[in-house]
Amino acid sequence: MKILIIEDEEELALDIISYLSSEQYRCEWVADYSAAIAKVTSYQYDCVVLDLMLPGGDGLSILKELKKLNKEDGVIILSAKNSLDDKVKGLKLGADDYLAKPFHQAELAARIESVIRRKQFDSNSLITFKELLIDTQAKSVRINEELLNLTKKEFDLLLFFLGNKNRVLSKSALAEHLSGDFADMFENHDFIYAHIKNLKRKLKKKGSDDYIKTIYGTGYRWEV
Amino acid sequence: MNKLLTKALKAYTLFSLLILVISVPVYVLVVDHIWLSELDENNWLSLEHLKNRIESREYSPAEVAQINEIWGELQPGFSISKINSSHFLADSVYEVQRKNVFDLDDGEDRFRGLRSYFELQGQAYQITIETNVEEADETLLAIAVVTLIFFIMLILGFILINRRIARQTWQPFHRTLQSLRKFDLSQGQALSLEKSNIEEFQELNQSLEDLVTKNIKVYQHQKAFTENASHELQTPIALLKSRLDLLLQEKALSPALSQILSSIEAPLARLSRINKNLLLLAKVENQQYAEMELIKINAYLHSALTLFDDYINDKELTIELKFETELTIQAHSFLVETLIHNLLSNAIRHSVSGAKLEVEISENTLLVKNTGAIALDTKHLFERFSTASTEKVSSGLGLAIIKEIVNKYQWQVGYKFAASKHVFFIHF
Repeated sequence: MKILIIEDEEELALDIISYLSSEQYRCEWVADYSAAIAKVTSYQYDCVVLDLMLPGGDGLSILKELKKLNKEDGVIILSAKNSLDDKVKGLKLGADDYLAKPFHQAELAARIESVIRRKQFDSNSLITFKELLIDTQAKSVRINEELLNLTKKEFDLLLFFLGNKNRVLSKSALAEHLSGDFADMFENHDFIYAHIKNLKRKLKKKGSDDYIKTIYGTGYRWEV
Repeated sequence: MNKLLTKALKAYTLFSLLILVISVPVYVLVVDHIWLSELDENNWLSLEHLKNRIESREYSPAEVAQINEIWGELQPGFSISKINSSHFLADSVYEVQRKNVFDLDDGEDRFRGLRSYFELQGQAYQITIETNVEEADETLLAIAVVTLIFFIMLILGFILINRRIARQTWQPFHRTLQSLRKFDLSQGQALSLEKSNIEEFQELNQSLEDLVTKNIKVYQHQKAFTENASHELQTPIALLKSRLDLLLQEKALSPALSQILSSIEAPLARLSRINKNLLLLAKVENQQYAEMELIKINAYLHSALTLFDDYINDKELTIELKFETELTIQAHSFLVETLIHNLLSNAIRHSVSGAKLEVEISENTLLVKNTGAIALDTKHLFERFSTASTEKVSSGLGLAIIKEIVNKYQWQVGYKFAASKHVFFIHF
């Protein structure tokens, strides 16, 4: 899978590439407007990660260009401005998702995966992982054909883990994924522990292996 | 406090009073002096005329005695009498007080007399003539009364002129004062004051306009600085966050090290939040978020409480909702969302486990109550970074943001501590 990262902050771009590299992704990176235009007009990407503040031009124009060319690339907008306007405008122009800086790498990875899944398989919303069969549209999980009854949050966590296999996910990344922007309003994210305990229990009860490992003092990892 | 004009009026009045009081005896002396010298001259003229006539007509002593008798009877104070001395004394002036025989109530009258000497056919005569003259005390009284009348007129004049000046001349000053009272630095609008044709006021207005323009510039620079600084900080914060994520993936991390790493998350989250909030404050101050839409507060509260579900359950808080009405307002949805999130997250964070959190809507007021031990210091409660909280997560800006949003829409926010409850209320 090809991913284009359009980001003028070199170090941040390299971090993203570094985080994504071990997945099945091949990442390319451009740092300015004209290079970005050259790339998106000549090649096809599964997902474009687009920073809105670029030297040489507005990120939104790149999005417009993509839509004009009828490209199917999934687009995730990154914005340092955290401005509602950008978000609304971007999504209106056809971006698939929006992520405000600063973000957790795990969050971006999960969003990229979700965008690619929606684009690639089109109507097919099924994810399989070993004995797990997940329908993202119906929001249902089956283990060996048996339906697993999860709460919305447990389901979100499961998807988040599957989008970040073999990654250590910190409690704050998990909390931010569940609570969104305002997770940082609170100091205590202990509720994550309860959700994960329940998720593990439910998976185990239906005969699934225990993939979620607790990393002492840090967070959790979905181990394959 | 005295008004400037009243103060001037007082000074003028006192000064005029002083001058007029001094003027009264001076006038009396001057008038008396003029009067007496005129009368003396008159007496002298009459006497000279008499002497001249008597000498030229060559009256006999018997005739002179007869004149004295007749005229002396008719004209008070007149007399011609023989004297034995042949030495003529110099003419002399004298004053006498006599009873007023016609008007006993009048008391005594003052007479000015002239005594002179002449010789007729070898016989020396003394002749006196008198004229009634106004008494000095009567003159004093008259002048004092007239002066008092003038003084009163003067004061009335002062007051009237003063009022006129206050009304007309000071009008530009009062308008300037009014403009200053209405002036709001955060609106960013320059002060425009009316031109005045009075030099002092024009100078004052000019100086004020310059001062305000400078202040607006400084204020705008400061706002721009906050916004720019927050923007600039976002990238390093983003990098820190992503580096931390990468570090956590390292296989060779010891448990101790990973614990240190994850303990960086909290201060980093706080840093990120402070920065986000500063940016939000700057944007609200810069009159962004101008769009308005109809917002149902009840629904926003419900969805916020759902979002905070995890944190509420974690602390085992009981939520009590008392919505008496459907409250709808016109505002920017993001700002209302922020307002509600800040209010509720505050209440949740500051609640102890198992406590009760009450949210009430009545008419156009929203109340959020949570149990607490002691009242907060209300003086600086809504100021930036004024929080006395030792929490690691507090940005110190939550209430400042609430205040800023409330100010933007001219709502009201307040805090009270009643029955062991912190109560924050917003009147929309």
